[in-house]
Amino acid sequence: MTPTPADTETTWWLPLLRPLDLPTRGPATVRPVSTTDAGDPSAADIAKGFADGREESLAEAYRRWSGLVYTLALRSVNDRGDAEEITQQVFVSAWRGRTGFDPETGTLGSWLVGVARHRIADHHAARTRHRRNVEAVTPAPAVSSGDEDRLVDRVVLADELNRLDDPRRTILKLAFYEDRTYSQIAEQLDLPLGTVKSHVRRGLLYLRARLKEVTGDAS
Amino acid sequence: MTHLDDETLAQWALDDHEPSPEATGHLTTCADCQGRLDELRHLADLSHDLPHLEVPPPEVWERIAAELDHEDGATRTTEPLAQQPSAVVVRTSRRALVLAASIAAILGLGAGVLGTRLIDKPTDTTTQAAIKLEPLEGKSGDGTADLVRVGTGAELRVTASGLPAPRGFYEVWLINQDGKRMVSLGVLSPGTVGTYQIPPDATGQGYRIVDISLEPDDGNPEHSHDSIIRGTLPT
Repeated sequence: MTPTPADTETTWWLPLLRPLDLPTRGPATVRPVSTTDAGDPSAADIAKGFADGREESLAEAYRRWSGLVYTLALRSVNDRGDAEEITQQVFVSAWRGRTGFDPETGTLGSWLVGVARHRIADHHAARTRHRRNVEAVTPAPAVSSGDEDRLVDRVVLADELNRLDDPRRTILKLAFYEDRTYSQIAEQLDLPLGTVKSHVRRGLLYLRARLKEVTGDAS
Repeated sequence: MTHLDDETLAQWALDDHEPSPEATGHLTTCADCQGRLDELRHLADLSHDLPHLEVPPPEVWERIAAELDHEDGATRTTEPLAQQPSAVVVRTSRRALVLAASIAAILGLGAGVLGTRLIDKPTDTTTQAAIKLEPLEGKSGDGTADLVRVGTGAELRVTASGLPAPRGFYEVWLINQDGKRMVSLGVLSPGTVGTYQIPPDATGQGYRIVDISLEPDDGNPEHSHDSIIRGTLPT
């Protein structure tokens, strides 16, 4: 850190502010809003680095997907300690088994969700065996796969919603998390009603596409 | 009649009222459109029942790095079930250094953390503004900042991604547009949601610029002048 004893009140940061007053900073920061968006380029970069065995990509993958994996585990097993352990197992086993991941045939997010589902199923199976106090002679019944599918979908949707660009992200959060009406959202954000409706509509279609990419199915 | 377009069906799924008698008529004879409407209704239903995302505590990454650190050069494909404690790890190899650096970046080591906590409880909140944080010239990464009313107080919820993983840590600042005042909100661990309590009228007083800087671990509490990403909250 540069010591600046004499100029703690100076305005060295002001020149940096001006570009940010502009609504956008160029194509690099503009994400397509179409439902055919093939994915975040940085997610693809992470996936490639991960497959190539770059440790930095493991850390990036953790930053990008650990919230999704942890929330999924937490909601499924209802225990923070167990969810932490599952999250750890997911990333460790994904890293060790990365040769089984092919960036050409699927996204890393999708693959990690698959690994997480296996780990969660293992956890439930182990707990069931433990509860019955019998050896694992019979295959342990999994948690209802319908419930688990729905949970995966909800967590993936929450994760994808968080990654939308504004104002769509705020609009969808208000609509879905806080159950605001279109008029309330329009008033709160000072946007035309038609714009709000259009964002929710297109946001839903976009989420459908993202969900299909991650889970292979939207329903 | 031709098939109903996705936007019409999406609006229908969201609003649950029919766009037109023609559309309703078409639906009774078209399994394809009915199927897509059902799918979108299911999606709308799920979307009104979304969980709040939570982030694992920093120790989880520490344990992952420690566990992988115990391996020697070659990657094993089998999966030992034993959990490695994070306690004592001898870091000697280059890969260990990389993992250690990542830990530092994720944990934001070495800094006093004021008012930082991870979101882990759903509360009665109102999102007042949500902005993107954009990279400054020559920097990479992006992030988000949500201004949230919680009861009578206010919180800023900040995320960042794509930041470089250097030595040092990331710090969140709230800069006043008068160009004279700034406050440190605390340390941000990339990949997590940092929540910082701020005065309810902070934006009204001009504290609207959310700034994330890279700080070397040198004990100097001042801004390093090395801002990475930044955005401005609306009034």
